[in-house]
Amino acid sequence: MTAAVIPSSRPVVPRRSGASLSAQVGLEVRKSLSTRSGVALVGAAALLAPAAMSVAVASSAEPLSSPTGPVVVTGMLSVLVLLALGVLSTAGEWTHGSVQTTYLLEPRRTRVLAAKAVAVAAVGAGVAAVAAGLATGVLALFGPSVPFDGVGRAVLVVGIAGAAFALVGAGIGAALGNTPGALTGVYLLNLGVLPLLQLFTPALADAIDPGNAVLSLAQGSEQAQSITVLTVWVAVALVAGAAMTRRRAVQ
Amino acid sequence: MITVTGLTKQYGGRTVVDDVSFTLEPGTVTGFLGPNGAGKTTTMRMVAGLVPATSGSALVDGRPYAALPNPGAVMGTLLDAGAVHPGRTGRTHLRLIADALGVPAARVDAVLELVDLTSAARRRIGGYSLGMRQRLGIAAALLADPPVLMFDEPANGLDPEGIRWMRSLLRDHAGRGGTVLLSSHLLGEVEHTVDRLLVIGGGRIVADGPVASLLGTDGVSVRAADPAALARALTGAGFAVAPGTDGELVVSGASPADVGAVAAAGGHALTDLRPLQRGLEDVFFTLTAA
Repeated sequence: MTAAVIPSSRPVVPRRSGASLSAQVGLEVRKSLSTRSGVALVGAAALLAPAAMSVAVASSAEPLSSPTGPVVVTGMLSVLVLLALGVLSTAGEWTHGSVQTTYLLEPRRTRVLAAKAVAVAAVGAGVAAVAAGLATGVLALFGPSVPFDGVGRAVLVVGIAGAAFALVGAGIGAALGNTPGALTGVYLLNLGVLPLLQLFTPALADAIDPGNAVLSLAQGSEQAQSITVLTVWVAVALVAGAAMTRRRAVQ
Repeated sequence: MITVTGLTKQYGGRTVVDDVSFTLEPGTVTGFLGPNGAGKTTTMRMVAGLVPATSGSALVDGRPYAALPNPGAVMGTLLDAGAVHPGRTGRTHLRLIADALGVPAARVDAVLELVDLTSAARRRIGGYSLGMRQRLGIAAALLADPPVLMFDEPANGLDPEGIRWMRSLLRDHAGRGGTVLLSSHLLGEVEHTVDRLLVIGGGRIVADGPVASLLGTDGVSVRAADPAALARALTGAGFAVAPGTDGELVVSGASPADVGAVAAAGGHALTDLRPLQRGLEDVFFTLTAA
């Protein structure tokens, strides 16, 4: 260990004020992508849609009237993975305890959650759009010949879904502050509760299922209702996350 | 400078920190002592704004920690060396903190060298030993060279060389006008590092003062050529005298000058005369015994 004297030849001059919101968003993006779990999730999300499209193209002999459905459905597989990215960005910090460092550097917790939300939304949108683009490429190269009208809209909607689902994951992760609990909760809700609801009260399930909302949005039907459903999911998750984050002690 | 006034924390009906007040001045190292569960860590977390106080206030540089414009540049804090993402490398961890603080990236290399972690900087923190994590936490606290340092059990996991290094680091920081609050269960280490002691027991401050005054003196140990005659003379002069464990006489409440005067007046030959000083361990157990 070197002499315990802090080098003083060049005095350290830290910024007088805290980091700007845009700088914080950049930091949160770097945090998400500086761990193996973050990189693995982004990689898996980017590759899942084209992989699923490859399997679909290889196993289906039926003609396609439009590429929108396959692009959105395979894209939604990637979007589901992005739920986990959102959860890890918030709940992961509570689970590892690194939230302590985060709040020592920026004690305004709502601002931290806002930066995380923008960061995961940006990453989620980008990765989902790339995944949908790659899936479209697979369909174009190896699938049946179909007119590609509306595929741009499908890719855009999958990107929006990526942002929305990552935000829902971040909100629920912040609300629960526990990675295993939040991951179990979000996937149980999406893959367990909503399908069950579809069996017993299909009208209600259709009305609140965010996956259905994404499909409707891509197909250009029920636009306002679809946007409302996605907005409500995101808003409820983030408000719950903000409320719980503000009051939770960092132990 | 840290000013804590009437800080109280209750969980349900249980009071874990009870009306704690103290002021830490620049240029001092203050030791924060107390048994497990006494309220040290909760107090420190309230100072850093991580745990909301039930009542009272804690100010760092005149403001609540959360109201400081760039708090990490004012107070370097080490509360839990394990509170890091194990999947990041040491360098990445520090780079993220440096960017949040707004200090140049070159500073990361400087603090890595300072804590002797340069060779491990590209390894994931999950593979670090406790001592290495502790040094990484100290490096993070020093990144912005803040005027105030608050360390909770920083010597945990450090080897003797590391503990000596840390002592030198903290003394040097105070010597440059910094304020240091240090909690530790290594009483000997604290005794040799701090200027002032805050002792907390059952959530309340039970002692607060300079180390020398808290350790104080508790009488005199004296040996004489004729102990029995000296004991009679001292008793006659009004002092309480008791036999020691090794043939010496223990004179409670007396100074060496008092005993020397009695001995000189009676013509007693002394072979040893020294003040009895309490160790920090004695003081600690006396003050915190509930």
